[in-house]
Amino acid sequence: MKSWMPFEWIAATRFLAEGRMQTTFILIGCAIGVAVIVFLSAVLTGMQQNIIRRSLLSQAHIVIQPAEEVARPQPRGTPGGELAIVQKRAQRLLSIDQWQRIVPEVRDIPGVSVVSPVVSGPAFAIRGDANKSVSVAGIEPDDYNRIVPLPDKMVAGTWRLASTDVLVGTELAKDLGAGVGDKVRFATPGGGDVTLTITGIFDLGSRGVNERNVYVLLRTGQDLLNLPGGASTINVTVDDIWQAEVVAQAISAKVGLEADSWIRTNQQFFIALNAQTISNIVLRISVGISVALGIASVLVVSVVQKSREIGILRAMGASRRQVMNVFLIQGGIVGLVGSFLGSGIAAGALQLWQAMLKNPDGTPLFLLEFDPMLVLWAAAIATLTGLAAAVTPARRAAKLDPVVAIRA
Amino acid sequence: MPDEVLRLERVRKSYDKAKPTENEVLHSIDLVLRKGEFAALIGPSGSGKSTLLNVMGLLDRPDAGKLYVQGEDTSALDERAITKLRGHTIGFVFQYHYLLSAFTAEENVMMPLLLEHGRPDEAMREKAQALLGKVGLTPWRGSYVNNLSGGQQQRVAVARALAMNPPLLLADEPTGNLDTKSADGVFELMREVNRASGTAFLFVTHDPRLADRCERVIELVDGRIVSDGPRRG
Repeated sequence: MKSWMPFEWIAATRFLAEGRMQTTFILIGCAIGVAVIVFLSAVLTGMQQNIIRRSLLSQAHIVIQPAEEVARPQPRGTPGGELAIVQKRAQRLLSIDQWQRIVPEVRDIPGVSVVSPVVSGPAFAIRGDANKSVSVAGIEPDDYNRIVPLPDKMVAGTWRLASTDVLVGTELAKDLGAGVGDKVRFATPGGGDVTLTITGIFDLGSRGVNERNVYVLLRTGQDLLNLPGGASTINVTVDDIWQAEVVAQAISAKVGLEADSWIRTNQQFFIALNAQTISNIVLRISVGISVALGIASVLVVSVVQKSREIGILRAMGASRRQVMNVFLIQGGIVGLVGSFLGSGIAAGALQLWQAMLKNPDGTPLFLLEFDPMLVLWAAAIATLTGLAAAVTPARRAAKLDPVVAIRA
Repeated sequence: MPDEVLRLERVRKSYDKAKPTENEVLHSIDLVLRKGEFAALIGPSGSGKSTLLNVMGLLDRPDAGKLYVQGEDTSALDERAITKLRGHTIGFVFQYHYLLSAFTAEENVMMPLLLEHGRPDEAMREKAQALLGKVGLTPWRGSYVNNLSGGQQQRVAVARALAMNPPLLLADEPTGNLDTKSADGVFELMREVNRASGTAFLFVTHDPRLADRCERVIELVDGRIVSDGPRRG
């Protein structure tokens, strides 16, 4: 007996050590429960962050666009009358009015990190017999690279652009049978027609993007898309991606233009993420409850097994509170030790997962972060669960009448 | 009287109270135990011996009558005070030793002191060692109680019952589960402790051989004391 240990702790640890088999089983049960929770949480968090990171890699956090054009019906016939049917107006490619004034205004809004004007529109990429529909983006590379890190994504050539240069994706290059240094003609329905030299080929990680996106200088894009001096969108990135919608609303309020955050434009994606998060929470609660019931049932059995000993302790002067604490501490210890064992199992499983599931290039499928805070949380919650699970058995033990217990 | 350890006045106890099966087990018991007494409580099965012992040991409350422990009326005490008084004044030895199997002999003897003070200390250990020495178990003080013989276990139980220096020790058939030789050993041990420390002993026994060796024999039949006096023969 250690002299620094109070009676309740001594008795709790001895009882646990004595019922070695029971203690081992309940610790394993608790550890598996915690391992499932920690592992799933790490995988889901890693997966979600990975998806978000990947999808934000090739898009801006906020896109500012000109207001949608609407048809204004003219009154006809009787004075004050209006037409019953108004056909929706087809949207032309428009420039944001006075975008040069708006860009610095947006830059000053708190939370905004990068602002980059872009002119983008449809075109055909033509080379020999190949004719591909593409989306041309005219950019200012120094700013735009801070939104979509093109230099990191180049697989051939350079990202630097001159007025007669173009960057194409790997898929488009393959479809056109073109490489760095080859010339490609770009034509737009509005009559724009220009021949550009491929200076770089990028891979943004998505087949569709690699097939459709081409990047040219802003000025080249303006010429090609017939928007001289114009910018069809202003792309914005923010410091905190989860604050994008708030910042977007601040931008709208300040400049009076439509600003769509990635959160709004990817609503389906968000619903899916939320569903995943909710199912994770339900799973955690279910596992937590089953662990708690496991601990409670083992402790109830222990109270029944030890009822005579409890009766003797009471006869010798143990108070109800002392007896209750002995069982509460047992529950807490099982929860705490089980949570650390479980976290260890989860850490091992995550290592295994990282080692086994790899991308074709040998990099991990996605980066899993084993958050030490998660272990501390799991430990705290498992200990509380253990304590809560022990309440009923502990009260039962404390209520035992010494005479009945001894005679049992 | 100053040397009174325990006094019962018209104590009644029923089971299944206010039910059709109500059964009065103790009928108006008057009894006094004094310091240094060595008494046996005998009687046929079902006569109420154990119930009387439980009431005397503050494990059970009487339905009527008064119980004084060292002159203190226990009827007004609450659960907490009763537990404390029981821990300080009464030691128990049961038919089955009821030692805590998770602890060594020495730790079992320390247990009442540990419950009282909360944490173990050297003084407790020394006291336990002295008590184990007194019951002849010094070599086994570090043994877990399940590794001891029945007689040895009962000796540990006696040592444990003496840990708080109680003025009264109640024993419910302490030798009932032992062979004759071990039973004699435990009996002699209790007798020696009684003589040396003045602790009053009251023990329930079915063994007339042991009852005859007591100074006082109280006979209970159907919940009434039918005889109370010095040993027969």
